[in-house]
Amino acid sequence: MPQKEENKTAFIGFWQGLLDDWMAVLTRPNIETYIRLKERATSPKIVLNLALLGLVIGLYVLTIQPPAFIQTDSLLLDLGRLIFYTEADFFILSLILFVIAGLLGGTGGFVEHSYLLSLITAPLGLVIVAFLFVANKLGLTLAAIMNPLSSIGITTIFIVLFGLYAFLLLLFALEAAHEMESHQVIYTIGAVLGSWGILRVIAMFAAGEDNIITQESAFLAEEWARGTLQQAILGHLWMVAFSVFIAVVIGVVMGVLITMPPKRPSVSHLFFLIPLGVFFLIWAAPKGWLGMGIADPIMEISDTLDIGLTRAAKGFFGPLLSLLSAIVRKPAAVGMIGVILTVILYALLLAGESASELTLYIAGIILTIPSIALFGVFIGPFSIGAFNAVVALTLYAQLPILRNTYTGIKEVKPEIVEAGRGMGMTEFQLLRNVKIPIATPVIMAGVRVSVVMLVGIAAIASYIGNDTLGDYIFHGIQRVQPLRYYAGAITVAVFALSMDYFLGWLQNRLTPEGLKGRR
Amino acid sequence: MIKLEHVTKIYPGTTSPAVDDLSFTVPTGEICTIVGPSGCGKTTTMKMVNRLIEPTDGEIYVLNERGEMQNVLEMDPIILRRNIGYVIQQIGLFPHRTILQNMGTVPKLLEWDNTRIRSRAEELLDMMNMPHEFLDRYPHELSGGQRQRIGVARAMASDPPVMLMDEPFGAIDPINRNLLQNEFLRLQQEIKKTILFVTHDIDEAIKMGDKIAILNANGQLEQYDSPAKILSEPANEFIEDFVGADRTLKQLNLIRVEEVMDKKPFLLQSTQSVEEALQVMDEEGQDYAYVVDSDRRLQGYVSRKDLKEKSGWIDEYTTTAATSLPITMNLRDALSEMLMVDYSTICVVDNRDRVRGTVNTAMVQEALMETHSSGKREEV
Repeated sequence: MPQKEENKTAFIGFWQGLLDDWMAVLTRPNIETYIRLKERATSPKIVLNLALLGLVIGLYVLTIQPPAFIQTDSLLLDLGRLIFYTEADFFILSLILFVIAGLLGGTGGFVEHSYLLSLITAPLGLVIVAFLFVANKLGLTLAAIMNPLSSIGITTIFIVLFGLYAFLLLLFALEAAHEMESHQVIYTIGAVLGSWGILRVIAMFAAGEDNIITQESAFLAEEWARGTLQQAILGHLWMVAFSVFIAVVIGVVMGVLITMPPKRPSVSHLFFLIPLGVFFLIWAAPKGWLGMGIADPIMEISDTLDIGLTRAAKGFFGPLLSLLSAIVRKPAAVGMIGVILTVILYALLLAGESASELTLYIAGIILTIPSIALFGVFIGPFSIGAFNAVVALTLYAQLPILRNTYTGIKEVKPEIVEAGRGMGMTEFQLLRNVKIPIATPVIMAGVRVSVVMLVGIAAIASYIGNDTLGDYIFHGIQRVQPLRYYAGAITVAVFALSMDYFLGWLQNRLTPEGLKGRR
Repeated sequence: MIKLEHVTKIYPGTTSPAVDDLSFTVPTGEICTIVGPSGCGKTTTMKMVNRLIEPTDGEIYVLNERGEMQNVLEMDPIILRRNIGYVIQQIGLFPHRTILQNMGTVPKLLEWDNTRIRSRAEELLDMMNMPHEFLDRYPHELSGGQRQRIGVARAMASDPPVMLMDEPFGAIDPINRNLLQNEFLRLQQEIKKTILFVTHDIDEAIKMGDKIAILNANGQLEQYDSPAKILSEPANEFIEDFVGADRTLKQLNLIRVEEVMDKKPFLLQSTQSVEEALQVMDEEGQDYAYVVDSDRRLQGYVSRKDLKEKSGWIDEYTTTAATSLPITMNLRDALSEMLMVDYSTICVVDNRDRVRGTVNTAMVQEALMETHSSGKREEV
């Protein structure tokens, strides 16, 4: 008798424990809960959890819509099979996750791992089955429930939220089971989904399915074979690279100037008259303001360069040479911009820090102008083509670089600057040896933002007659060819992401070694 | 030598001077601490010497390596600063540069070659008792105390005759601060720099300074004198208040036990017999006596009561002494030790535990009376 009593208590304790675990997951879903539950993992509990789920699924399937492949004469056998399938499916998935988590540095054991997963699968699975059962009794099909336009479509939101909740629980469970960092968990789940996706796509092509993915890749392959895709990518790349290069030079110089104390005009500043004079000459001569005698040689140089560059514009550097030729073709505009820039730089040198707010404000305003509008405004002075695009893109790329240079330098701790100055560094040495190296990560972050932004805006430059990836988008829209504008959108996105990745790598390379260990 | 003559600083937009008609001279090879309430212009004074702040009026002279007095206001500030060591409270090490590059900052500006910079840096690390592998580390890999040492070493890199230190140990915990102060004083014995040392802590000023300049809240010099003089003869009420009511006790900081102890104490040899010992104690009229071995190493003490009616050698009846004082200890710490044990007399031992003398509270008091009445103790 006492033996039996004991067994009975143990039996009740077991069920109570299981119920407690379920309630813990459902009421307090956080990492601490999972870490605590991890201690209580045993194999029988896992099997039991899944058996419960399998039983409910089995009952649902057999009472509502029994599929042909499991139907036998015996109800019990059918139920048994369904329970077995549920268990097997679970363990296969669990094993895949376990192996990938292990490869990514997970440390948990398989029993703990599976128990935590079963504590998500079983309760949430029961909820889903219950939901489907009720829906079925009400005579609703799955399609009707999922359709957001139907009267009961509001349930879609609940289903989505439910999915997110499940995903969150999965994150917690893996993090607790394997003592992993959050990013490792994301990679684990990502690897599973990613490999599933890749397999699915391979299967698509192997089976010769005709859907949007296969059609799109066929389209891209065709464009690639014709060489038009490469041309657009190269045009895009050089447009962005050239504009960002100029923007970095001007933006960093201006950003540095507005961190410096204001300067009094001095005789050495007469140096500024040299570029100013040169630019003024280039600007005024073609306009005939100085008489034809001076205009001729300038126009001649510009024409020769233009012809030379246009002729050489082939291959990888082709689009860059075309850009340059588009620029030398407009000496008057180059001169005008040069004059404006020289005057602005000198004004900033004199004003120094007192101009910082105004400068950042103006740069901010420029960024709020829609790109199409800015391209449009520049059609006046520069007409359409590469020149217009480069000016507009440079102007856009300016702000993040300018602002990050300014903040990066301003954020250098004052005692570091004071120490440098107190040891006898000149202002220029302070800038070159202390302020700019320390600000490099911040400046590079600005460049990164600029580049990613420009990749998007350069697509729009196609509107004013530039060969960029935007061609695919605009032509696609005009001709109502979804494959074409998808191609543009996909390549622009991939382009932006890869540029961001590359610049992230570059940022890391350029960050001084001593600044990496901190933070 | 650093010489300030009628130096005044009035910041633009203010009428009252931050530093008002300041004149004093720091002799070559001495540390002058500048101390005063916050906002008294002590940092301003210091920064005028290397012209991080330009004085409104007055002259400042610095003795260069060639033994010439130079008017700093007539020099190129960049060249001036490269020849004056500069240490600040927040240290300001360059985080993106290794310790070697940090220490080589000024030598690099002076265009030394790399081998010379490296060997100088190693020399400095030796001076600071730090291992050479620190050279290739970055500042963030060092502890606060280590960083501060590097900050001081960096300022000394080009061996400038004059150094400016702005609360160099201000951001360090008390235990490490004490350690660094002692280390620096020991170092100063060798390097003999002329140092202007700003602090807000009067105790630090007394400890570190050969001379102390005390400024009041209006940036005027209230007193410029040696620490002992300032403690024993405060010029006015302001100094008295600033130095604090415990200034008599503070004077104890300046005196070492060695200076006041009884250099010929009454001692017994551990090899003496009990009878002999009792006889000597009777003659001297002592109830207690310290016992030493043949090397004068302290064994303990005996009391007449313990020895009474005993026979044999006295080391059998020797009790271990609860404490003894190192000879270099200052009187303040010594007094504190004395108050902790109820011995009337305590042994003073050298670093090999040999008894060099004894000291009691009466001697401490006598020494204090003496300094107070004459104020003649110039040297620490």
